[in-house]
Amino acid sequence: MNSKERIVSFPRMGNIHIPISAFLREMSANIILPQANSKQTLTIGARYSPEMICLPYKMNLGNYVQALEQGANTLLMFQAPGTCRLGSYAKMAENKLRELGYDFEMIVFDLYGGKFKEVMGKFSLATGNKSVTKAIAGVKICLAKFDALDKIERELLFIRPREKNFATAEKVYNKGKDLIDKARTPEEVKTAVNYTMTEFKQIYLDKSKEILKIYLTGEFFVLLDPYVNMDIEKELGKLGVEVDRQIMLSEWVGQSLIPGWLRKKETHKERAIRTSRRYMTRIVGGECVETLGDTVYAAKKKLDGVIHATPFNCIPEIISQCILPHVSLKESIPVISLLMDEHTGKVGMITRLEAFVDLMRRNKRKKQKGFAVAGPA
Amino acid sequence: MKIGIPRGMNYYNYYPFWHGFFTYLGIEPVLSSPTTKKTILRGSELVVPETCLPVKIFMGHVLDLIDNKGIDVIYVPSHQSIAHKIYNCSKIRGLPDLVRNVVKRNFLLIEPTLDKSEKKQGLYEYLYESVAPLGITDKKLIKKASKAGWEAQNNFNAMLVNGMEYNQAMKNAKNGKFINAVEDNREHPVNVAVISHGYNLYDNRISMGIFEKLEKLDVKTYIPENLSMEQMKKGFPVLNTTLYWANEYEMTGAAGYYLVDKNIDGIITLTSFGCGPDSIMIERITRFSKKYSKPLLNLTVDEHTGEAGFITRLEAFTDMLVRKKRENIIKSYSRQFGEEKKQTQPENQAAGF
Repeated sequence: MNSKERIVSFPRMGNIHIPISAFLREMSANIILPQANSKQTLTIGARYSPEMICLPYKMNLGNYVQALEQGANTLLMFQAPGTCRLGSYAKMAENKLRELGYDFEMIVFDLYGGKFKEVMGKFSLATGNKSVTKAIAGVKICLAKFDALDKIERELLFIRPREKNFATAEKVYNKGKDLIDKARTPEEVKTAVNYTMTEFKQIYLDKSKEILKIYLTGEFFVLLDPYVNMDIEKELGKLGVEVDRQIMLSEWVGQSLIPGWLRKKETHKERAIRTSRRYMTRIVGGECVETLGDTVYAAKKKLDGVIHATPFNCIPEIISQCILPHVSLKESIPVISLLMDEHTGKVGMITRLEAFVDLMRRNKRKKQKGFAVAGPA
Repeated sequence: MKIGIPRGMNYYNYYPFWHGFFTYLGIEPVLSSPTTKKTILRGSELVVPETCLPVKIFMGHVLDLIDNKGIDVIYVPSHQSIAHKIYNCSKIRGLPDLVRNVVKRNFLLIEPTLDKSEKKQGLYEYLYESVAPLGITDKKLIKKASKAGWEAQNNFNAMLVNGMEYNQAMKNAKNGKFINAVEDNREHPVNVAVISHGYNLYDNRISMGIFEKLEKLDVKTYIPENLSMEQMKKGFPVLNTTLYWANEYEMTGAAGYYLVDKNIDGIITLTSFGCGPDSIMIERITRFSKKYSKPLLNLTVDEHTGEAGFITRLEAFTDMLVRKKRENIIKSYSRQFGEEKKQTQPENQAAGF
């Protein structure tokens, strides 16, 4: 395939398309973005997937089909053996799409052990651009956008439960996201962030609100994609709950791409291994250790509760689900597990969230009044 | 000294080794009782509903050992990775952690880890971890014991490759014997390969006694353990794939081998509901069975599977295989006698429906 005719596409996951397409654009590749994840994506994906496969695969496959229908001919995917079924996604999707009669090329990034050079090599293969300076510029803007998105997202998470008129922060955030997407240089990204942050500062906060703080943890695809997690953070914001989470785009990218000796801070995974040692002594793939570690961490930080979101039938998360009640008892922190699949209804989820928030609020008031908290010690 | 070994998961593949190993060191391995309805019930109470059936059963066996047999040392190994970058299913990898957290009893959990990828922890480290908590730290002795273990395990594998029935092979291996299998010269109308993981196939509660049922239907069964490692490795290119899961040999490898084996008339796969790795492997086997036009029956079981439905599906599948085979024989005859072809074929088709 001639590199000039390449039209590149990749699966969607929350905001990940913004930095990735910035990078690809810098490498002067033609990109087709699949439509944002929606019910249609899931329906297409579920139709062509094995029955018992996990949700992220169904979404990815749906994205691929939509992208191919729009004219893409090069698909990108990353994989990491030793995680879970994720390692077989690329091959499975490729086989299935060929069976469906599509003509395309699949470029797979192997993220095992963080090989930055290899990933870059694959990217230049995908874009047909071997220029090192362009690649460096691309990486710069890509990382800048990752950081910028996380920065405004964290601000949004802080403001959303506190604002007087609900959804003002959301508007500012969406505008900021657009600005970051449009930015061409790291400097422009910086201006966009600064502009958005000043906008955020102008939002009127209701200081009298009683804010609960929860930790959101679980499987990263579910956490990062608002369609899949049914806007759980927004719903929690409506209920006056501030969400804290460590699984963020930049965190995840830094963890899987940058080699260990270059990192200065303790990564999320290292922290999780440290905090969860009492319950989990092995790494079993996926985000099992992270889930348990986050729960212990949240208990130590005296947060009000933990929400664990996971796709149905995710192998590592089944283990953490089995262990979580035990952790919850020992560390005395309320935990709820929410399972997502193509049949999950939003209303049912909201009801459960409301009940959970009521429980946390009652706990908190009892604590404030000096009563002993009900429940097992 | 006694050590409790739950009758579940890896027990079905590696017990002869453990038996030989522990007996050599003067430790008596104690097995839990075979799976009953109660085992499943008690095990299911400990874990979330979506956990797969074999793990639920495993938990039941751990409880059985502690509560009914009074054993307070339980052996739950974690087979993380059997070769570089070849990992097991998360549930097998995290089995000891799961047991430690959900079984709320007082017992000593022995949890050795076999991890050849990240920690570079090979067999001897694994065996050392297996007995060090019991006070045996002599590395030379452990090496000798591992030889005794391998002897039993190799006998067991060889007997199975020779075509011996599973339970008999296990019994002989435990007694330290090697017996040549008695040749079964009876002619069977159809030969079927039953593909699954050991912990599904040889646990009669999970597989619902599939071998006896097929025997009653006059079907000769082949199991993945009848194949040698080399034969299973040949199965991977057939399915256009490479090894990804540590326990993929008995599924993909065996299925690939049997798919192109002309002696086999059909394949039955047995999976427990919600098995992650199997969801991928079964999809692949199904796709290629169409390509090689080999009849395939996928059976999914969980704790609610009824026996009657199970039998009906086996009967229907066997009937189909017999009919297909008969049709093929008639076709090949009619090809030989050219003229008669036109007369026999429509008749046979009518009989088929």
